[in-house]
Amino acid sequence: MLFKYLTAKNEDIPPGTATIYFGFSSILWFIIGTGLGSFNAAKLAFPDFVTGTELFAFGHMRQVHVLAVILGWISMAFAMTMMYMTPALGNTRLWSEKLGVWTAFLWNVGLSLGLFLLWLGFTSGREYSDLIWPIDLVVVFGVLLPLGINVWMTIAQRKTQGIYITNWFFGACIFMVIIVFLVGNSAELFNLTGLTEGYLTFWFAHNVLGLWITPVAAAIAYYTIPKLSGNPLYSHRIGHLHFWAIIAFYSTPASHHLLSAPLPEWLKSFASVEGVLILIPAVAFVANILLTIKGRWSMFVENIETKFSITGVLLAIPLNMQGGFQQTRAINWYVHGTGWIVAHAHLALLGMSSFLEIAAVYFGLQQMLKRKLYSLALANFHYWFVIIGFCIYWISMTIAGLIQGGGKIYEVPYIDVVIAEHPYMIARWIGGTMVFTGNVVWLYNMYMTAREGTVVPKGRYAHELAYER
Amino acid sequence: MAWKMDNPLYCLADEEEARKALELWESEKPGGLWEGNNRLPYPLTWLIALIILTAFMITMPIWGQRPTAELYAPMVELMDSPEVQKLATGPEKIAYLTERAMEVHRNAEDSRLPGLLDRHPISWEDLQLAAPGIREIVAGGGGTYGPESYNVIGDQVVLANFSGSWRPDGKRERVQPWWDKGYTIDVFYVSYFIIAMVIVCKRLPHFSQKPDMSKAS
Repeated sequence: MLFKYLTAKNEDIPPGTATIYFGFSSILWFIIGTGLGSFNAAKLAFPDFVTGTELFAFGHMRQVHVLAVILGWISMAFAMTMMYMTPALGNTRLWSEKLGVWTAFLWNVGLSLGLFLLWLGFTSGREYSDLIWPIDLVVVFGVLLPLGINVWMTIAQRKTQGIYITNWFFGACIFMVIIVFLVGNSAELFNLTGLTEGYLTFWFAHNVLGLWITPVAAAIAYYTIPKLSGNPLYSHRIGHLHFWAIIAFYSTPASHHLLSAPLPEWLKSFASVEGVLILIPAVAFVANILLTIKGRWSMFVENIETKFSITGVLLAIPLNMQGGFQQTRAINWYVHGTGWIVAHAHLALLGMSSFLEIAAVYFGLQQMLKRKLYSLALANFHYWFVIIGFCIYWISMTIAGLIQGGGKIYEVPYIDVVIAEHPYMIARWIGGTMVFTGNVVWLYNMYMTAREGTVVPKGRYAHELAYER
Repeated sequence: MAWKMDNPLYCLADEEEARKALELWESEKPGGLWEGNNRLPYPLTWLIALIILTAFMITMPIWGQRPTAELYAPMVELMDSPEVQKLATGPEKIAYLTERAMEVHRNAEDSRLPGLLDRHPISWEDLQLAAPGIREIVAGGGGTYGPESYNVIGDQVVLANFSGSWRPDGKRERVQPWWDKGYTIDVFYVSYFIIAMVIVCKRLPHFSQKPDMSKAS
């Protein structure tokens, strides 16, 4: 049905179409991403699971999972939120609904193609920037730039004089992630090798996390929490501190990923200090949101979007405590290259970031569909499966990482470490599969919301209405 | 952009500018939302100061200092002596050598050495493996670089990979410093950030002035 809008005139496309397109796409990619994650985890837990073909080998599957989650789920959820929050915060309409629909269409096609090629083995061979350069260019010029143009133009034609903090982040982060993609992938474009390639690889990986995945998620919370709670954002000035601290301290510490590499020591020293200073924007963000929800904590129990949002905000605390300190020389030598880092990455992407996006997708889809969520029970099922599954994953991988670290330092034979880790690999698979199951239920719930959800009267918000079932 | 500099830590905007900002604040609700003008709570201000201090303290190069040829040179010098030869076991030999080396390092100009040896104990077997390389460096095999510029990594004695300042001979310093230019850059970078943030926040109306959002549309 959405395909018909690709050829329609902009003024004939109902507001919210791009949001809905992106919203359902993101949920679908979340299911694909977590399904692949569950499959890969099963291969680690049960080594005889699906063998005999190299296409299903872990080395072929892992990066497809990672990029399906980052570029499919998380980034499309971001685009979805930008499609409805940016105009709402400017008291205006989206600059071009048609461009939004085309962006969503090209994004799905480009990502499907990119991941299919990746699965076949067409890869740059660099972690996180695994896609081959033609696909990188599609991502930049076919996806991110059109998204950026729509967001920047919507901000430019706003009806308010001020720009709300969420839109600062949206506008700036799209700009920065385009730069990150172009510079970070230049190693492949210009055949850079060795240490330069290594540095650029982790410059990309670090900044995709630091200038896209976590700050945009935070920007979403600046909208959802005041919106749902009805409270004013606690502090505009703390918002400034958060925003500028992200720009200053998150863009600089890439070399803390390479403390064992022969990079100049001064660069590592600089990066390590900056890495701890990432706690500044984290403190500002968490404080601002938790002080905003003050007096409305009952919503953490009663309202599903608030439940997801606040869980995401609370997960930002361990995320940044880990992130700030695990990158110091004193700790990194122990945890580097172990499952601890895998656990940390999931805390960022599946924990803090995803919970905030899930809340925004729930909220945005109900608003744009003008329908109340079909089933609160299913939404709660989704919440508990995702949070319990995530915790099982995170805790088991953290323990596995500490075992690996000990094994590495004390030179324990590798096979003994593998055996010691086995129970945690099974736990990882169980946790990941719970997340996947929860997401399947979520898609069903949103599909039923679109079909049978209670119609929300004009001028009201879905979360203000009582559930009918 | 009217500035008021008489009390910069209170507010950098003059009354007219602050009034205009508050009026704007009160007149519009972007997306139905509004924002407070609260300060960062005091405990969090101190927490941020603590974070900055911690960032430097926990990442100081002292925690990442690597063992150098200079560190084990006194041990290598004595390892073939009759006092060591008469000791029966490796642990006994290395305990004796560590004690002697510690005495040498306590009197050395570089005050890092005793602590460094404490953090990088070596076994008799490893010392035997590294000894030929250390002897070669001490004997001048490192050219213009002395034993303090060489790291001991297992049985390898290799020129440290630090890129320090340029020396008069056109080569770089290889001694791992207590403090390097990365920290110097950080000091300036953090200082500039703090100054910039103070200016940004103090240009807003003082936090005691709360916008009245009942006027917003």
